[in-house]
Amino acid sequence: MNSSVLQRIASGDTAAVRECIEQYGALVWSLARRLSRTPADAEDATQDIYLDIWRSAGRFDESQGSDKVFIAMIARRRLIDRLRKASAEPPMDAEEVLESVAWADPGNGPEISIEAEQAMRALAELRPEQRQVLELGLLQGLSQSEIAVRLGMPLGTVKSFMRRGLIKVREFMNVDAHGISAEV
Amino acid sequence: MSETGPQNQPDDAFMDLLVKRVTEGLSSAEQRELEVLDSGSASRHLRELERAAAAVVLAGIGRAEAPPAALSARLESQGLDFLSRAGKKVAAPRTFGWQGAAGWLAAAACLILAVFGWLRAPEPQPVANQPVPPTPAAPTVVPSAPPTVAEQRAALLARSESVKLDMSATKDPAAAGVSGDVVWDPVTQQGFLRFVGLPQNDPKVHQYQLWIFDASRDQRYPVDGGVFDIPGNSSEVLIPIHARLPVRTAKAFAVTLEKSGGVVVSGREHILVLAQAG
Repeated sequence: MNSSVLQRIASGDTAAVRECIEQYGALVWSLARRLSRTPADAEDATQDIYLDIWRSAGRFDESQGSDKVFIAMIARRRLIDRLRKASAEPPMDAEEVLESVAWADPGNGPEISIEAEQAMRALAELRPEQRQVLELGLLQGLSQSEIAVRLGMPLGTVKSFMRRGLIKVREFMNVDAHGISAEV
Repeated sequence: MSETGPQNQPDDAFMDLLVKRVTEGLSSAEQRELEVLDSGSASRHLRELERAAAAVVLAGIGRAEAPPAALSARLESQGLDFLSRAGKKVAAPRTFGWQGAAGWLAAAACLILAVFGWLRAPEPQPVANQPVPPTPAAPTVVPSAPPTVAEQRAALLARSESVKLDMSATKDPAAAGVSGDVVWDPVTQQGFLRFVGLPQNDPKVHQYQLWIFDASRDQRYPVDGGVFDIPGNSSEVLIPIHARLPVRTAKAFAVTLEKSGGVVVSGREHILVLAQAG
């Protein structure tokens, strides 16, 4: 029997549509708000993301991770696409200031996913400036060049921090999943 | 070239490209470079890095905020439409059926025609997240699942020529708290207004009227974009734009409150919202 809400959507279960919105709507909306310039953009982005979720539900593989991570991956891809498109447009007035980032407390409640806990453990091993690079790139949507300017770092250092940071997170996730360390 | 360096570890340049693709996307030249460096493991690395990036996002997102109720309803409608079109079995009843919406809109249209006897061209109809029937001018659609106005707007927005401009409320008291945007495609001359917080009007007394300022025309005489009404039962309203004249270069959009039926030249006493290009 299908237990994943995404698998149920893929099999045509209409009740799963509402469940998917109830369970992950806040996650998608919060990401969209964070990585969109205005609330109106965030609404458009959220609709784009969910359209992609409906289309991609059939590709979800439980063995590769949770529903939540799958949806976060789709959301990120869509938002990055939109950021790239928006960067070619002229700047708009009255941009909303991005909310400051607050790293989740892994012991904060049942909604923290296993993958988020793994990421938290990996991030705890990084230097503060490495964490900052990941934060600016992944949670605020800045490009590596923009991060370099913002932090006054050489671009090569930003690339290196981003690469090592993500590889560290990947390593923690692969260790937990397979009991072995991933190649770095 | 090889993607691996000494000790068979992935080359830093190869990994940098993969990381950049995951975090911000690659240019065409970078994508070609990645393809040259890839000896077959890129897709696996990409999958794992994307998963890692998503996990970092989940760790850093903090307290999640629920989406607006109107947006959730729209998402649900979109999801059910998708499953229906995909030919999946649809067991649950839809909360807002297409047939019901069509009937409501037809009744509303009849009422408007009966009361006001419009002789003008068809006015744009306000739509609050529900499907509407295709207009005669609309492209052919699958009869069982016509696109909603929201989908039509999304499709227009996806066109490379289209632009989206945010609406700014003026100091007019009736505009307090109003937000929204305009999507306009100069090629097809189609567009949509989206409003949140624009007060309900009494169509017997006043109607909202859209004006489009065309850079190629005399700015004293903007193009009439039609009159429209705001119903009282919806937080968000989408309105198709029907410009009376061709608009070559849309420079700005303005919405005024006018007497019922609209005016030929606005006195501009009540300019409520503005959207400006560039």
